[in-house]
Amino acid sequence: MGTQAGEVMDRRTFFKAVLGAGSVAVAGLLGIPGVATILAPVLRRPRGAVWAPVGRLDAFPAGQVRPTVIEVPRDDWDESLRRRAVYVSRLDPHEVVVFSRSCTDLSCPVMWDAGSGWFLCPCHGGIFSSDGQPQKGPPSRPLYRYATRVRAGTLEVDLRSVPPML
Amino acid sequence: MLSRAWTWVTDRFGLTPIWEVTLGRRVPKTPWYFGDGAALLLLFTVLVATGAVMTLTYAPSPDAAYLSVRHITEEQPLGWLVRALHYWAAGFMVVMLVWHVLRQLLVAGYKSPREGTWLVGVLIFFGIVVMSFTGYLLRWDERAIHAVRVSLHMFHRVPVIGDALVVFVQGGEEAGSRLLTRLYSVHVIFTPLLLYGLLGLHLYLVLFQGTTTPREREEPVATAEEQRALYKAQKDSEALGEPFFPDTAFQSGVMAFTVLALVVGLAVGVGPAPLYPHANLVEPSFPVEEWWFWWYSALIALLPPAVAPWFVVAFPVALFVAMVALPFVDRSPARGMRRRPFAVVFVIAVVAALAGLSGLRLRSPWTAWPDPAPPPVPAGVVLSPEAEEGRHLFARFGCNSCHAVAGQGRQVAVDLARTERRWSRDEYRRFILKPPDDVAMPRYRGRLTEGELERLLDYVHAAQTFPRQARPERPAGGPFNRPPGAGPERPAPGAAEEASK
Repeated sequence: MGTQAGEVMDRRTFFKAVLGAGSVAVAGLLGIPGVATILAPVLRRPRGAVWAPVGRLDAFPAGQVRPTVIEVPRDDWDESLRRRAVYVSRLDPHEVVVFSRSCTDLSCPVMWDAGSGWFLCPCHGGIFSSDGQPQKGPPSRPLYRYATRVRAGTLEVDLRSVPPML
Repeated sequence: MLSRAWTWVTDRFGLTPIWEVTLGRRVPKTPWYFGDGAALLLLFTVLVATGAVMTLTYAPSPDAAYLSVRHITEEQPLGWLVRALHYWAAGFMVVMLVWHVLRQLLVAGYKSPREGTWLVGVLIFFGIVVMSFTGYLLRWDERAIHAVRVSLHMFHRVPVIGDALVVFVQGGEEAGSRLLTRLYSVHVIFTPLLLYGLLGLHLYLVLFQGTTTPREREEPVATAEEQRALYKAQKDSEALGEPFFPDTAFQSGVMAFTVLALVVGLAVGVGPAPLYPHANLVEPSFPVEEWWFWWYSALIALLPPAVAPWFVVAFPVALFVAMVALPFVDRSPARGMRRRPFAVVFVIAVVAALAGLSGLRLRSPWTAWPDPAPPPVPAGVVLSPEAEEGRHLFARFGCNSCHAVAGQGRQVAVDLARTERRWSRDEYRRFILKPPDDVAMPRYRGRLTEGELERLLDYVHAAQTFPRQARPERPAGGPFNRPPGAGPERPAPGAAEEASK
């Protein structure tokens, strides 16, 4: 039995090679399914829009911003936090805007201050005007807006139209 | 007879060689404050013991987690004490960890031959940061859910893979039971397993490489060999060395037990962390992070919009890189404080910054929030009926969401009793209707009737004559500039029915 270099593989080299190969095999056996399990949520991400009803469009009076609760459709066994507050704005009579409640700085829940007509964040001083533009504090981008549509008089939003942590 | 039995035990269980290299070894004498490592080890033991027994009751499911924590606190015999010990030991773990790291900076504990000890310590540092964050999320109350969303938003900031990271941590497209299960697993299985291994290695390296010694701070020590020779000379010396057990162990133990006494005192005196309303994304909420993160929250609040998005990613990365690089960058032979003024100034600056920022977070002068109650009329001031009407309009139009009057109220904008100069009615009128573009204030043109504007002007104009106290008698707003009723005392929706069950 000769290797390509013409040398005879001695017993210990053989043992080391077998032990090394065995270790790699065990690492692969445990590591590959393990890593697949850890990465599972990212490996198979659902695609496409998920439309959730917000309410009858005519229930939102023109000239007002109104906090509203939407129901997130149940995803398999995942039950908790299925309800989420959003702000429906009809300040502009020609359009309806559904703002996420999450501050664009770090997702703290902004509060609509009807008196001043601005959105106030409780955490790091973010302040947004009624059209969602940042006015003060660390936020650099406007409030997130959900994609909307109206079906048979009911306002709906696409839950996938904003980043996943909102 | 008894001593023969003991000899048999130590021999058959192989204890003698272990004894000789651990407790029985000789070490150089060290000052009392070297006991911070022992304090950390004791706190870790408390955390493992209290944490382990809580897993017997805690239910890592979103519907049950909050109620199971409440059950541990209110129903389970001594459950409140277990939770309180876990909470305060966790807080002091963070404090002592920072202390430990800063002390190593002062005594140059990262220099050869202890680079490995330092690097393992850096990993432990970040492991404990993960623990101190994931731990309070498991309570699954309002504070927890908003805290985890803040951290998810930090992951979102990572370039390119941000949203994939969010889904990876969150376990799905929305925050729910997958998220809580993952947090539980990370807090109870993955990070502790990692920490056991790293702590074991860290302690082994303390035995193997030794610690810093008093002598090496007096003269420059360039190489690992020099330090080892100095270490050996000191531990073998009658005057400079001592047996680890009981001499050094006693001294370290005093510090460790002092810290533990503080933890027990706070656990019994103050109790476990308060429970806020059950986690939800519906109720108006005023979240505040745990006290060991206050300084970071204040730092984030001070960032301008141009810096804020990348800072939350760059800061932890930069901290990690700087800590890993330190032993390879600072290779000077000087080890004592006297020869390293930069290290001393740096540590003092860090401590001052941590304390100052935490204090600033308590005041949170950047927080605007609606308050239906108009600012009180200062003592000795009588308002005209018109101005009194204007005072109520001041709250109705959200002026008091940002403005204080005579020290009462929020500190986001100018205190209207403490303007730099007297403003005329006309100046105020123009300003309120259309503030300058560089002022963060809403335009009130079209939102106020002429009558309302006149009453408001009556009030804000009169406010300039209010007595000016040098300092407000009580700070404007509560801690964190928090509105009244936003603390843990606010009962959760449906708490009454649950309590009556």
